[in-house]
Amino acid sequence: MFGVTGTSPAKTTSYKVVLPFYFYAALSLLVASFFLFTSDRAFLHHYFHPHLLAITHLMALGWGTMVILGASHQLVPVLIEGKLYSEKLAHASFILAAVGIPLLVYGFYFFDMGHPAKWGGRLVLLSILAYLINVGVSIGQSKKINVQAVYVATSVGWLFITGTFGLMLVYNFTFPFLGYDSIHFLPLHVHAGVVGWFLLLVLGVASRLIPMFLISKYQNDRLLWVIYFLVNGGLLLYIALFYFAPNKILSAIPIGMIFAAIVLFIKLCYAIYKKRIRRQVDDQMKVSLLSVAMILAPILLLLAVVVYVAYNGYGGAHITLGYGFLIFFGWLTAIILGMTFKTLPFIVWNKVYHKRSFSGQTPNPKDMFDALIFKIMSVAYLSGFVVFFVGILTKWLPLIQLGALLLIASAVLYNWNVIKVLIHKAKQK
Amino acid sequence: MNVKTNHPEQCQKALSGLKNVYDPEIDLNVVDLGLIYEILFSDEPKKVNCLMTLSTQFCPMGESIVDSVKYSLESNFPESEVEVTLTFDPPWTADCISEEGRAHLNS
Repeated sequence: MFGVTGTSPAKTTSYKVVLPFYFYAALSLLVASFFLFTSDRAFLHHYFHPHLLAITHLMALGWGTMVILGASHQLVPVLIEGKLYSEKLAHASFILAAVGIPLLVYGFYFFDMGHPAKWGGRLVLLSILAYLINVGVSIGQSKKINVQAVYVATSVGWLFITGTFGLMLVYNFTFPFLGYDSIHFLPLHVHAGVVGWFLLLVLGVASRLIPMFLISKYQNDRLLWVIYFLVNGGLLLYIALFYFAPNKILSAIPIGMIFAAIVLFIKLCYAIYKKRIRRQVDDQMKVSLLSVAMILAPILLLLAVVVYVAYNGYGGAHITLGYGFLIFFGWLTAIILGMTFKTLPFIVWNKVYHKRSFSGQTPNPKDMFDALIFKIMSVAYLSGFVVFFVGILTKWLPLIQLGALLLIASAVLYNWNVIKVLIHKAKQK
Repeated sequence: MNVKTNHPEQCQKALSGLKNVYDPEIDLNVVDLGLIYEILFSDEPKKVNCLMTLSTQFCPMGESIVDSVKYSLESNFPESEVEVTLTFDPPWTADCISEEGRAHLNS
């Protein structure tokens, strides 16, 4: 006979909510990597190319956003120290995005801005709305509001703005109502998504998870608030300058603010790392910590573009392409490749071994995926990323093709390990 | 590791069993992690009361860890009624980790 009294352990979000997001994201990475190879010549031209728009949206929505939505349905309760408001809304968010993303990608790939792109955009926006309501009410019901919760709430707000603006740009192709063509507004859409959604969310979540995984005592909420205001202030200033004082030199100010925020975040991570109790850092954490430093790469390239344009009066489309590639296949992909195997095995472990963990016969979650495959995947990814990036900058097709093949290999190995974890079953005695 | 008890000998027996209960996220047993605050024993009726915490209240592994603690104590004291009480006062901090636990994390 036994019982539990006192405070009950909080009910975690069901694995049924979370796992479909991970599976969908893994497949999206694989398809996007194949598109890199099949659309290799598109990387020799202007970034406003149907195939590049399709790849970018597949990476931003199908890969980045889907895996972040999946993980955050599990992590938001940890961050806000409260329960997720609704699992039904989480399911709705998945279904709407899962149907909407392929429609949108199809629309871009064949540049059909009619029904496929419009319905795709509408469904994705509804998915974001469901997520926004779910996170907003969860935070509203939480007893404590901490800095990480504010990061999450603000980033979801930026995601909604990005989605709404993106749908407006799709409509603007067939019913021009914005005053300019959609390509004019593309930088606003891209930076609201990359800085407001991805960067802000990753900084907020990482500021909680990195000390948790390293078991570090270092905490500096004041610095996190400074970073928060620098990122949001930089983005708002960028938008204001875009509308009211478009000037390439002035645009260095918001870029500098976001650069400063990232440098401060790296400083924070270093302090967390120095004061860690767990001295051994596993491969997944190494890839994730590497990705923190990789945030600097696109920002430095962007500053270089500003300086280049200021002196020459024009910018190279291949540099802009390289900038986008650094963000989606560099920083964002690196952090997800690492963090997938710090989160997914635990979710599946909880599903499989929850009722038998007392038996002492359970494997460690980190043994549920193949560590060797993970290492090979990391090497294929890093080499593929560097080779492809150099291929974009030099406009040399063989490098682009080789880089794409290496990235396909890393995506295949990533899918292998994700599926291995997803289908894990307890061994029968 | 300062676990309050009214029966040191029985407590040692309980703790040696609980050393097989791991927090899979940190890869450390609940005893060296400092999650166990108190284990009290009573004879009439035979009862084991365990007061414990989690590294965070919304730890995704929380339910699983608490269940494992209950089953471990029940299997070590089959004649007793086992009650596990969860508290977050005082909250767990990294300072709760024992010297052995720190050595394990650095091994």
